[in-house]
Amino acid sequence: MQDIDTEIRDLIAAIIEKEPEKIGPETRFMEDLGVDSMMALEILAAIEKKYKIVIPEEKLPELATLSATVKIAREYLAGKKNEQS
Amino acid sequence: MNSLNIEEIYKIIPQRFPFVMLDRVTELEPGKKVVAFKNVSYNEEFFEGHFPSRPVMPGALIIEAMAQASIILFSSAKPAVQDKQLTYYLGAVKVRFLHPVVPGDQLVITVEPLKVVSSAAIVKAAARVLDKEVASAEISLVAK
Repeated sequence: MQDIDTEIRDLIAAIIEKEPEKIGPETRFMEDLGVDSMMALEILAAIEKKYKIVIPEEKLPELATLSATVKIAREYLAGKKNEQS
Repeated sequence: MNSLNIEEIYKIIPQRFPFVMLDRVTELEPGKKVVAFKNVSYNEEFFEGHFPSRPVMPGALIIEAMAQASIILFSSAKPAVQDKQLTYYLGAVKVRFLHPVVPGDQLVITVEPLKVVSSAAIVKAAARVLDKEVASAEISLVAK
């Protein structure tokens, strides 16, 4: 099984139409990759769908790098597991 | 389950003749689902050129009908936007056309949200004629 970092990187790469290798943990989405607010929303929606979580709109500006995005996804995934147990 | 007639549709969408691609909304679950239809008549001006000997509704206009239903969905999810004169822009469209739409068809559009935020939405849209799917799409739109 792929780790969540790789899964999210590949998912972002598909949305922004760039090679996954171009997305390092600290590569800045907006400045380095040309991601706009609509693509950021698509990334958020795709992560929500893949992991069946809900990430509030307020978190959107925090989706600035892969590492920040993975951190947020992990945070909400952990919240979901706590709810279930 | 609410329905909207054309006058009520006009209060929500900014498009006007000849670019109103919905005739009636038959189901409106605020923020959850919109079902709307357009009756496609041979009198539509676009059939004159698309195509002269074989009238087919342009796929771009099916997307437009989906986009207008999406505006109604977005505006029902965010009632605060209704009094603002917003312009809507498409950000991304992933679409598949399955069957041609021709004069006499009733194009039934269903849209459901994938993600709605304060100034944008991503929706899943389907277009059907007599319960047969003629197009499906994922549409991102921004309100400004």
